[in-house]
Amino acid sequence: MMRESRIRRLPVLLSSLVALALAVLPLPPLLESLRPDFLVVVVLYWSIESPRAAGLSLAFFAGLALDVLNGVVLGQHALALTLMSAWATHLRLRIRVFSMLTQCLTIFALLTGYQFILFWIDGATGNPVTTFSRWLAPVIGALLWPMMVALLEKLHER
Amino acid sequence: MVAFRNTDPSGRTTGLLLRCVLYSLLALGLIIVDKRYENLAQIRRWLSVVVYPVQVAVASPFEGWDWFRESVTTRDALRADKARLEGELRLAQFHLQRFAALEAESERLRALRESTADVTDHFVIGKIMDLDLDAFRERVLVDKGAHDGIYVGQAVLDSGGVFGQVARVGQLTSEVILVSDAAHAIPVQINRNGLRTIAVGAGDTSHLKLPYLPTSADVVAGDLVLTSGLGGGFPAGYPVGTIAEVKRDPAQSLAEVEVKPAAALDRSRELMFVWLKPRVAELPPLAPPKPAAAKSAGVTDK
Repeated sequence: MMRESRIRRLPVLLSSLVALALAVLPLPPLLESLRPDFLVVVVLYWSIESPRAAGLSLAFFAGLALDVLNGVVLGQHALALTLMSAWATHLRLRIRVFSMLTQCLTIFALLTGYQFILFWIDGATGNPVTTFSRWLAPVIGALLWPMMVALLEKLHER
Repeated sequence: MVAFRNTDPSGRTTGLLLRCVLYSLLALGLIIVDKRYENLAQIRRWLSVVVYPVQVAVASPFEGWDWFRESVTTRDALRADKARLEGELRLAQFHLQRFAALEAESERLRALRESTADVTDHFVIGKIMDLDLDAFRERVLVDKGAHDGIYVGQAVLDSGGVFGQVARVGQLTSEVILVSDAAHAIPVQINRNGLRTIAVGAGDTSHLKLPYLPTSADVVAGDLVLTSGLGGGFPAGYPVGTIAEVKRDPAQSLAEVEVKPAAALDRSRELMFVWLKPRVAELPPLAPPKPAAAKSAGVTDK
């Protein structure tokens, strides 16, 4: 279905805000290390689905919000999110025709890249986090992808 | 089967690379400036106001639930609570009776020995906001910020003992780094013999480490560990924890000492921000300064 090229930003903003809240929602310690990067998944979805409504500005400012919320060096999440969002936007025409499984794998690669940039900046700024559990987030994020797509699509169609 | 709708028929990605490079450079610039210089503190303080609504929105349902539970507690439970608190208060007052006199005496003795320890001036109580900051670091967000005069490096206590210090200040909120964070260290001394060392966080709330004690050091399990007040960040004489375990391996030159923190690091809801009394102006030197050895002798406690 071809839609008018009117850009709707409301769903984008709304979903990003909810994802931002989920990023700091208190969880029991056991689940805490399993928390997927909700905001990253949402930003990747919009980069693939509608780069004109969201695009790199969304990625950059969402990353900045994460930096401030998490209290890490300013620009860390912004850089990682910008790069991964650009990559997703570049691949988006291909990703759209992928099967669900392949999509999940691609998202896994993007999320791992995201974590790797965070990991690298953590190390470069002198407070490395070497626990293995940080590499679990991409796996969970990729597993959640089909659900997130279904949810966000609902939101987008309304 | 989920498929993407094609909302962007034109596929406008021209300039994607350019924008990507621009934003990345901006982010890299931010990282470098934030790391190297302090200029961004002000910006960050105001940025924290922007995300404050999100933080409040996330924390408030939990606070609301607490409030609800509190308001539906039965009369009996409240009475039981009241009786318990009155008992605790009576006990605390009993312990406090001699405190004023002892504090004055301690200050006098310290003045005699020319050792100026930092003394607490006043407190402000802050509440921990129910948020997860970073799963891999021991930090909490508290609802007091630069607006209330909080400053970076300020000592933070809870009712049990030393909790941590302020790592970052926002306008309305501040971030407190716990004594148990792997990047945190605090100057301490053993109460029993005045032995001074440094307690370092182990990365989880269950224990701290004293990594710089030689195997021959006089520490045993059960010793009380207090802040030494050296370094000026923390007031002297507040409990940091008790020694839980001492492992001595004769082949190693350093002992492995674990400290069980005195503060309820994983349970506290309310924290005290401490202001130190400005040090008394130093007296003009009458006699030639004493040798440094006199100063480094163990400091007995009040």
